[in-house]
Amino acid sequence: MRITVDAKHWKVLPDLRELFAHRDLFLTLAIRDLKVRYAQTVLGLAWAVVQPLATLIIMSLIFGRAVEVETGNVPYPLFAIVGISAWSYFAFVLKESGGSIIGAQEIVRKIYFPRLIIPLSKAAVGLMDLLVALLMMVALFVWYGVSPSAHLIFAPLYLVLIIVVALGTGIWISALSIRFRDLQHVVPFMIQFGLFITPIAYPASKITASVPHWVQVLYFLNPMAGVVEGWRWSILGLGDPGGLCILSLVSGAFLFVTSFIYFRSMERVVADLV
Amino acid sequence: MSNRMVTVEGLGKRYKLGGPTGFDPRARMTENLKRITGGKREDFWAVRDVSFTLDRGEAVGIIGRNGAGKSTLLKMLSRITVPTEGRFTIDGHVSSLLEVGTGFHPELSGRENIFLNGTILGMRRAEVRRKYDEIVDFSGVQKFIDTPVKHYSSGQKVRLAFAVAAHLEPEVMIIDEVLAVGDVEFQRKCLGKMKDVANSGRTILFVSHNMSAINSLCSRCVLLDAGRVEAMGEPGAITSQYLNKNNDELTGEKDLSSSPISSDGAGRITHLRWTNTNGKVIDHAQVTQAFDLEVDFEIAERGYKPQPVALVYNSKGEQAFMTFPAKATTPPSRDVTARACTSPPTSSTKTHTT
Repeated sequence: MRITVDAKHWKVLPDLRELFAHRDLFLTLAIRDLKVRYAQTVLGLAWAVVQPLATLIIMSLIFGRAVEVETGNVPYPLFAIVGISAWSYFAFVLKESGGSIIGAQEIVRKIYFPRLIIPLSKAAVGLMDLLVALLMMVALFVWYGVSPSAHLIFAPLYLVLIIVVALGTGIWISALSIRFRDLQHVVPFMIQFGLFITPIAYPASKITASVPHWVQVLYFLNPMAGVVEGWRWSILGLGDPGGLCILSLVSGAFLFVTSFIYFRSMERVVADLV
Repeated sequence: MSNRMVTVEGLGKRYKLGGPTGFDPRARMTENLKRITGGKREDFWAVRDVSFTLDRGEAVGIIGRNGAGKSTLLKMLSRITVPTEGRFTIDGHVSSLLEVGTGFHPELSGRENIFLNGTILGMRRAEVRRKYDEIVDFSGVQKFIDTPVKHYSSGQKVRLAFAVAAHLEPEVMIIDEVLAVGDVEFQRKCLGKMKDVANSGRTILFVSHNMSAINSLCSRCVLLDAGRVEAMGEPGAITSQYLNKNNDELTGEKDLSSSPISSDGAGRITHLRWTNTNGKVIDHAQVTQAFDLEVDFEIAERGYKPQPVALVYNSKGEQAFMTFPAKATTPPSRDVTARACTSPPTSSTKTHTT
């Protein structure tokens, strides 16, 4: 193995081979976070169930019963859990990876490894919550005796897209917050705000039916909007994954690619800044 | 296969004083204005123009005063921070130990922290698993291995951390003052382990303030001053050059003639002088060298019998030893010099009067 560092040459893209070589560190950090998360809690792992369950109940009461959001033949809780599963993962990654580099500053200042490992391991921890939400979704399918849509074959694709969008956003925020600690205050706001401007509690058709075209364009520039709509289409057969949803896919892909480039540029100065 | 392991060429690191400006538009504007008006930007070169090479199996020590750029140099070579100029190449697997126990998590058990710390230091999980029993044995905390590390004493924590570090098998090792932790016994253990590492043909780059460690471990030594290489060569010569250089700025003598009389009214110390056995004032001494401490004092209270006692601390603030007067002195006159001559570990004290 040969390491060459030259002040004049700096690679713009992350070194994927080096990243892969550090897979054990990635795994260890993810295991650490999982273990630490529920250390000294009474409910322990049950928290992974309680949180989405509470969200599901509240949403079903407010939007299912009170507001009576139109969801066709699909029972509202089932409609909601599909959106919640995607959103809770996205929110987790944003929240955790946002401050992840700052949180790991003790390590970052003392030892080298590809810094991308830090937000990536946080995103991996979130998969645990995603899995729990998916199991809840399966339970609701059984409970209501509903069978999933014929588009189910596309579900894995949209699952990957959810992860890609969450990663892209999370990596951007983790890199930005190295220089602008303000981001730590913006993230909770983004998560709260994002829940309204993403079709989680309601179908996207509500938006397309009620606002002018240019607002719709803005709405679907939010990468999660189109991805969640597609995710629900693949599972429940509701909505339309084409049209403006394509815009979300483009902005999501853009976010993902640029996040690596920006992160790499911050990697250069991270130890001097944190 | 070439024997050249490390090549450093013209390495330099510049910091902007006052910290990074970030995106603050006002700070940026002031900076740009300064540049336009020809004012000098306040830069600081922590390291500049450093070049050296290491061959396989060499142990090179880096010494220098605080702020000479030692740590910045190690940080660049460990790839923690990026150089502003120059380049370096390292052939082979590198481990850098800038502290022991990097990444230890208080909530996790000793076992889990071995894996965490091990992988942070660059080991594979399988490798940690293979060496696990050895690491636990070496650490001597077998009984507590499933207890969260937050309940460990600081000594246990350090021992566990060092046990992990000691089982790294890199070709090139970068070490910064790791020996500065723990008690004397532990430091001896660390030094012993490092000697083993050095003798096993691995290449070591070692920063320390401990001149005897540098002398006994290293085959070559680099003296840094204000970020630049001031001298390089045989450790004995370089360390004494460093120590002598410091002697030009004496702090080993203190005039206290204007100090007030002690609160109990017994008297006051008027002058302190720390000298080598030839009577030359020094401010630095090896723990293995004999030195004299001269204390001039005045006695205000008639018939007061002073008992000269000196507590000697090392540069890290740890108490090295304490001297006791061999017999109580009876000062006949007003001006008395108590002279304590010590050569530890068996410290003898003699006091005499003038």
